[in-house]
Formats: sequence, structure tokens, C-alpha cells
Amino acid sequence: MSERVRRIGRLRSTVRQTILLPSGRAAARVLSPIDRALQPGANLFNRFLGSYVGEVTGLQLGLLVAALVALATVPTWAPLFVGNYMRTLAVACIWSIFAMGWDIQSGYTGYISFGHSALSAAAGYTTALLAVTLSPVPSFWVTIPVSILAALVLGLLIGLPSLRLSGPYFSLVTFVAVLLFYRLTIGFSETLGGENGFQAVEVFTWDFTERYYLMLVPMLLVAAALTVVARSNVGTVLVAIRENERAVSAAGLDPTKFKLWSFALSSITMGIGGVLLAHFGGNVDPATFVVVDRSIEMIAMAVIGGMSSVLGPIGGAFLFVLLRDEILRLWFGHSTRWVMLWLLVLLVLVFARNGLFRWIWHAVGAVGGDRE
Amino acid sequence: MLDSILSILITGAMISALYALIAIGFTMIFGVGGVLNLAHGALIMAGAYVFVSLSRDVIWESVALPRLLVFPIAVGAIGLASYGLYAGLVRYIEDNPVITFLATVVVATMTTEIALGLFGDQPYAYTVVSGQASIAGTSVSYNDLAGFVLSWIAIGLLWYYITQTDGGRSILAASMSERGAQLTGVDLHSVRTRTWLIAGGLAGLAGIFLGGDQAATPLMWLNPLALAFIIVVIGGIGSIKGSIVAAYLIGYTETLTVSMLGQSFRGILSLVILLVVLFLLPQGLYGREYVHE
Repeated sequence: MSERVRRIGRLRSTVRQTILLPSGRAAARVLSPIDRALQPGANLFNRFLGSYVGEVTGLQLGLLVAALVALATVPTWAPLFVGNYMRTLAVACIWSIFAMGWDIQSGYTGYISFGHSALSAAAGYTTALLAVTLSPVPSFWVTIPVSILAALVLGLLIGLPSLRLSGPYFSLVTFVAVLLFYRLTIGFSETLGGENGFQAVEVFTWDFTERYYLMLVPMLLVAAALTVVARSNVGTVLVAIRENERAVSAAGLDPTKFKLWSFALSSITMGIGGVLLAHFGGNVDPATFVVVDRSIEMIAMAVIGGMSSVLGPIGGAFLFVLLRDEILRLWFGHSTRWVMLWLLVLLVLVFARNGLFRWIWHAVGAVGGDRE
Repeated sequence: MLDSILSILITGAMISALYALIAIGFTMIFGVGGVLNLAHGALIMAGAYVFVSLSRDVIWESVALPRLLVFPIAVGAIGLASYGLYAGLVRYIEDNPVITFLATVVVATMTTEIALGLFGDQPYAYTVVSGQASIAGTSVSYNDLAGFVLSWIAIGLLWYYITQTDGGRSILAASMSERGAQLTGVDLHSVRTRTWLIAGGLAGLAGIFLGGDQAATPLMWLNPLALAFIIVVIGGIGSIKGSIVAAYLIGYTETLTVSMLGQSFRGILSLVILLVVLFLLPQGLYGREYVHE
């Protein structure tokens, strides 16, 4: 058995030696002047923001700015493509929030949760219930905070008992939490809407451009906030928990407290995403929010992008949603599309465990070589 | 009153037997490799579909082999599929539990989509053994009865294999301590191969009867997998005895809930039991502590 594993390893290193490294060097030679040209900007960025969000190299800054510009100008270029890119990209923004929310808890602490769709569902269902039961529907300024609070409460309800468990037990319990939520929506279908859910939620707007920005801006704010948190002491402790939990408690810190913090942070993020998703399409039902497939999709996005980073889940979510809703749709039927997508995720899992976008980010960062 | 108690006892026993099969396979793979195989549910679904597509003309026209012949083929095929999953995917990634976790989930969702593509989302009803019997005033389908009997035969054989033969004892040894087993000359590769084959076979067996009881659908993997989770966690991850006890506990709880509260509450009580057990006995009834390596 180990013989075959070794053979695969040899194959991988041959590919590295003969294809990847030379082409990487060639790309680096082309890119390094650009990197040098952008370096003053990067120095400025590092001086003012570096301590909060991490240092960047010139090329990394260029990439970030280019991505931001591309996202901000979507309404000008999206209509040029065949397909419904405005909608797809808006959906991708929401799923980026979900993927980041999953990642700040599971990716950073290593406690893999399968239950995150229940958290976004808590927010979505609260919004729907408020809209359905209260007769003058309260304004967004009331429903949105209440819904996010509901996600936080459910997150603590799931997190408090389950974070006492370790490893697989934690994952199993969160998986069960989603199933329990799903069963409850069916069991109490009079109050929770059953299989069909609620269609009465007021959408923010049907205008494509406006709706896109309403999804993009919160996504960027969440990303910025999570980057700051992940770069702070809290983020460091969370990674330390993943690497060696005993060492964290030996250092006099209470790992459970930090795990709960990460769960709370993640719940709030999931709540924001859930509210956006509820107001995006106007319907709140188990298939959109609760079912375990949604959790698995979030996980897949975070993993193909690169776990325990902030850019990774965003990139993964955009890649995943674009492939699912636009690119693979051009060639494949419904179920073939999903099979292809999952196959891709599987390949990334096996061959690029650290995720695609994380890898790209570090490759780009390495272009100019070390400069200390 | 007595009648309904008897009826709950009998129907509960039928369904619990299948749950036990599912949970044992799941827990064996965890015990030996430390791998949580979330694709176990997909094997259950595959078992039902292999059986239905060979015994009925679902994909190929006029393929309708006799069920007695199809049954062992289907069980064997799922055993092999399970081994294929190990040999083709899991063993390259088993050093990283998180990646294994995610990869097996992805395999399960992928299998669902393949089943959707091949068979559509319509359920296929079939029976393994048709007919009804009446036991103590409760009507039981021969399908469920056969599932019950075969489940206990399979569990009996497994018990005999694990406790009485060298090959089986090496599985037991590897599940207790991999290092210790290796030091005493146990071939871990062969142990893992046999474990995955056995677990797959049990999953296939359970899948065939579950499908015969309800109907084969692409989403039928999710509930059995969730049940396997619940049962295994209650019984203690890695413990076969715990799985059997917990399977019957959960099977009876479900039958009780369904007959008292109705079909839509199926499962809710089991989940509550799970939470209670986790609070009182975090390692399950017969479990040992999970060692993170």
C-alpha cells in the first residue's frame, strides 16, 4: 500500500520539478517588474494597515485592488457575458459571507462544524416569522438585528454543549443539529411553514444593480472585520487551538472560552448572511436554508479556497457559485453539473489541501523573493 | 393496549435490526482506521439501487434477474465499492481527519447526484421478499422479517469472526491499538481491507432491506447516516456492542414516537436522547476516549 502512495508522491514531485517550478520561475520573471512598480503602494498600505490586516507585497496589493475594482464595476462588464452574472455574483457575495462564517469557526479552530446552515436558517426564519406574525411588519432596522441575534442565540445553544466534545464528536453533534432543525420545520409545519416555508419576506429590491451592491458592501465589511479579528490575538489563539489545544491550556488560556468566541463570531456572520439571503429572494424554506447540503456547500467553498484565511473562502465561494450557476451550466445538465462540481472539490481536497486561492496568494507573494 | 405494545415491540425489532447493521459498519471503520466515513450512507443508497436495477428493468430493458441471485451480487458489489472507496481515495488522505471528513461527505453528495442523474428523483418501490405475515396480531412484511433474520445472522457471523478466528481478532487488535497490533505482526493493510469490505457488505445488506421497506430514493442515504451517527455516538464510537444496544434503543424510540406522535416527529426524540447521552456520558455507553493523533 505504501508503495503506491510513494509512487504517487514521486509522480507529484516529478510534475513539480519539470512543469510547475520552471513555469513558476518564468511567470515570476515576467511579474517581478510589476511587483517592484507596485511596491511603494504596498509600503504605504503596510505602514497604515499592515498591523491590522497583515502585510502585503506589491503584487498582492495589485491583485487585491484589481479584484476590488472588478467587483465594484460588475454592472458595467457583467451584461457583456451570456448569462445572468449580476444575480450570480450577488449570490456569490452571500455565500462568501457563509463560507467566511464557517471558516472563522471551523477553519481556524479545527473543530469542523456541519451545522452552520442551521445558524443562517435561524436568522432567515426569524426574519420570516417576524414578517408573517406581526401585522404592521417592522422595519428592517428592527428585523435585521433581531434576526442576527437569533442566529447568535442558536449558535450559543449549539456551541455550549457541543464544544465540550472533541474531534469527531463535535462534528457529529453539529450534523445532528441541522437534522434536528430540519425535522422541527417538518414537525411543526403550522408555525415553521413546513416543506414550503415562507414566501412573504419582503425583498430589498428587484433592481439587479442595486441588489448586487446591497450584497457586496456587507460582504466586504464582514471580510474586513474578520480579517482584523483573524490577525488579532484571538485569531492567533484560535489557530493555536487547532494546532495543539493542550499547549493553549498549558499557556493559561481557556480553549473553551476561545472556541465559544469563535462560534459566536461565526454565528453573527452567519446571521448577517442569512438575513441577506432571506431578503435576496424573499423565500425562506428548508431547501434554501436548512438542509445539510447547504452546510456541505459552505464547507466546500471554504476548503477549495483555502481554510483558515479570509480571502480563501471568498475566492472559493465565487469560484464555486460561478462554476455552478454559469460556467458548468453552459455544458452540463443539472445533476451532471453537480457531479462535476463535487469531483472538482474532491480533486482540490486530495491534491491541493491548502486550497487554491491560498496557494495563488502565496505564490504571488513569493514573486519578488524575500525582502526583509 | 397489550396489542399495541406487542406491535411496537415487533415493528421496533425489525427496524432496529437494520439500524444495527448500518451502525456496526460505520463504527468498525472508525475503530480500525480512525476514519469517519460519511460516505457510509451513500453505500446504503447504492445497495438499494444496485438491487433494484438488477432485479427490475430500471436502466436496462429486460434485465430482471431472480432476486435470490441479485441479492448476494448486490451485497458483494457494495462491499467492493466500499473497499474501492478506501483504496481509491481514503488511504491517500487518512492522515488528515479533516480532509477525510470533507472528502467522504463530498463523495456522498456526489453519489446522490449520480443517482439523481441515472434514476431521476422518483422513488422506486420494490420488495426483497414479497408477502405479509401475521405475528401475534401484527402484520409484518416478509421483507422486514427477512431483514431482521439476516441482520442477526450477519451479526452472529461477525461476532464469531471477530472473537473466534485469527483474522477477526487482528481486526479487534488493530481497533484497540494500531501500534500494538503492528508490533505483534498484524498486517494493517489486510485488516483495513477486510474492515472496509465487511462494513460495505453490511451497509449493502441494510440498504437493500431499507429500500425494500420504504422505496429507493437518491436522498435515502441521509437519514440512515444520521441514524448511524446517533447510534454510534450513543453506543460509543468504535464499539460494536454499543452499536447494537444503541440501535435497538433508537429503533424502539422511533417506533414509539411514530405510533404516539405521528410520522412527522420521527427522529426528534432520538436526537434529544443523543443530546442527553452526550451531556451525561460524553464517550457513549461503551465508548473509549477519542485520541487525537
